[in-house]
Amino acid sequence: MRDPSAPQVRPRLIALTGNPNSGKSTVFNALTGLRQRVSNYPGVTVERREGRLKYDDGSFATVVDLPGTYSLSPTSIDERIAVDAMLGRGSFSARPDIIVCVVDANSLERNLFLVSQIIDREIPLVVALNMVDVARRRGTTVNPGSLERELGVPVVPLVASKGEGISKLKQILASPVPKRGNARQWMMPAPLARECGELSAILQEKRQLDEAEAFHEALELLTSSDSLLEGADRHDPELLARIRASHRKLEFLDMDRQSAVVSARYRWVQQLSLRATERVPHPGMTKSDRLDWILTHRFWGVVIFLGIMAIMFQSIFSWATVPMEYITAGFDWLGHQAVVALPPGDLRDLLVNGALAGVAAIVAFLPQIMLLFLFLGILEDSGYMARAAYVMDRLMGRVGLHGKSFIPLLSSFACAIPGIMAARTIDSEKDRLVTILVAPLLSCSARLPVYTLLIGAFIPATTLFGLVSLQALTLLGLYALGLVMALGAAWVFKKTLLKSARPELLIELPPYRIPSLRHIVIQMWERAVLFLRNAGTIILGASIILWFLASYPRLENATPSERLQHSFAGKAGHLVEPLIKPLGFNWKIGIGLIGSLLQREVFVSTMGTIYNIQDSNQQEGTLSLRQHMKHDRDPTSGLQTFTTLTAICLMIYYVLAMQCLSTVAVMRRPSGGEGKHGLAAAGIPLHRGNRSPPVRAGLGPPQAGLPGGMQQLLLPHIGGRALGEAASAAA
Amino acid sequence: MPSYPFIRLSDTPAGSSVRIRHVHSRPEISTRLREMGFYEDVIVRCITRTHGNLICEILNTRIGIDGDLANGIIVSPAEQ
Repeated sequence: MRDPSAPQVRPRLIALTGNPNSGKSTVFNALTGLRQRVSNYPGVTVERREGRLKYDDGSFATVVDLPGTYSLSPTSIDERIAVDAMLGRGSFSARPDIIVCVVDANSLERNLFLVSQIIDREIPLVVALNMVDVARRRGTTVNPGSLERELGVPVVPLVASKGEGISKLKQILASPVPKRGNARQWMMPAPLARECGELSAILQEKRQLDEAEAFHEALELLTSSDSLLEGADRHDPELLARIRASHRKLEFLDMDRQSAVVSARYRWVQQLSLRATERVPHPGMTKSDRLDWILTHRFWGVVIFLGIMAIMFQSIFSWATVPMEYITAGFDWLGHQAVVALPPGDLRDLLVNGALAGVAAIVAFLPQIMLLFLFLGILEDSGYMARAAYVMDRLMGRVGLHGKSFIPLLSSFACAIPGIMAARTIDSEKDRLVTILVAPLLSCSARLPVYTLLIGAFIPATTLFGLVSLQALTLLGLYALGLVMALGAAWVFKKTLLKSARPELLIELPPYRIPSLRHIVIQMWERAVLFLRNAGTIILGASIILWFLASYPRLENATPSERLQHSFAGKAGHLVEPLIKPLGFNWKIGIGLIGSLLQREVFVSTMGTIYNIQDSNQQEGTLSLRQHMKHDRDPTSGLQTFTTLTAICLMIYYVLAMQCLSTVAVMRRPSGGEGKHGLAAAGIPLHRGNRSPPVRAGLGPPQAGLPGGMQQLLLPHIGGRALGEAASAAA
Repeated sequence: MPSYPFIRLSDTPAGSSVRIRHVHSRPEISTRLREMGFYEDVIVRCITRTHGNLICEILNTRIGIDGDLANGIIVSPAEQ
């Protein structure tokens, strides 16, 4: 137990690591509860989750949930961050005080590979042996005592989803942890061991490294490819020549250097696992086999996937409607209270029509966000998400994306905001960025009122071949246009600015399990807080600015339309009119476009204001608005303001134009906050397989970055400059 | 199972178990494959295939693998 009298310099730093799908996040949530925050690692789209573990004596430790990794040889930006954090290198100034490696008891050998690497680094380690209940059901029993003796580090069996074993883990994390486990128990081939020993001695002398560090650096250098050594700038030519000579010696002995080390380590891990586990074999097809056969079938797999997506999509639309109405009604009530309580004037107008209206606009999205993450949590926790990515990989592969991109894109039909936030499930930095950039091209629900208004007013209510309504076909065409443009843009991005080859599929499919409600609820809460904090601060400010522009300068004794025309927004409409005139738009549409920067459907209410309609949301108001728009004529030329062609141009504009400010604000966070750094990170060259070249200690990461002009080109589209001030992503 | 000793993992029938003999790919890919358990002498059970991609079980873990990657993994019947 912790000694209360011991001086506390800073909270203990505990890093959670482990293979993907080992249950790290569940353990993290169990240790920290709601005392956590989510941000991004600087300059990249990788999430940083940090929380506080409260000890019994009231003190705290800091717990960081690192991205999942299979080994200490990273092949992606996420893994590099995890490895750098564990080893205290790169942008991380210090190692964690303790590493907790979460191990899936169902795939012990594969998980122990990483454990053995961490032990070899002599970092204080605790093994959290998770999902022991699932393992038992599948006929595997792991002896934690035996593992503990073999590894030389504490091993705590857990069922993190139910909280079992967490209190014991907390006790161990409060106690002093042994510095090292039983390091280097595995035996590498003798020739490699010899070369490693000699190179290690040279490194100790030349670079003043201690024995353990020199050994690991020597091992990494010996197992590096020659192409990586070409880029090394930290070693002297003499040392480089020595390394190359060792490579040649080993190759002369017909040794695959990388394979030899991995195989040797795995052989030891397998022996250890055999001693520590008892398995009851399952002959024939298991339930999981049958489920996988159906859910990944070339036809039924796609049908089931589309069915699940249709249910999810429809639920987000329909289930969110009632809470959204309650939220809107709640804010309407607040607005009414403000009208009653405050005297007429600018303050009341600012509060009701500026601040409250802006906040209401954001909070109204909340039910959709939470529902989306409820479904995503269920799909991910149950193990189905990985199967869905496997099934959709072929379609996504045609535009150079991974199968995991499909779900965020589909979610964007409801709203781009939750779709963009869902892109965090995509491992690859570039694929994640491409998905975020193209998601807003899919027509969201906010555009539907605009489409409905214009189609109803300007597209004839006829049928084609007596079967299909032309109006319905137009609506379908708009959605199809968005989808085609999104996929096309993704293809272009993957071939040019965010170039990388089609990622090869290599995905772990976790065991099927009952989703953990606690874990899902915590995830929903975390996302809700993050969404409200990030988007709300920016949108609140923007709403106040827009209110000011549409309200000043004041014009007394005038109709709403005249006041609007006289305002800064009205003048802005006249100012942009020459730019939009070639599209057939005038100043009235210009104001509508400016207003719809906040929310797309604001275009409808702006048009209503312009045409003196009291409430354009009412049915008779909407019909009147349509009639007004159809009969509106230019006072100078006498020509119709709105024609069918104008309406089609306007609808296509809304399909393709820059997304609303809410989306820009949310894009800014997952894309790395500071757009320039995010793009520089995305520009790190990736080899085929969408993997970055292994980052070896002593060689430094490959130098990369986009040309400045390209960064400038893309910055407005991810909101870095549009919001004026790029800041590093922070909670 | 075919009678010749070595075949590619991509040609392995669903439901059969094979032993990996060699992993051939670009260095960073083969390293990653080995770290995920696709190393020499390990037993792989093929579960199902879709559009050339394959789901297999290795070291008690289920993995979806690209047909191109599976092409580079040479295997033989598990009992050999």
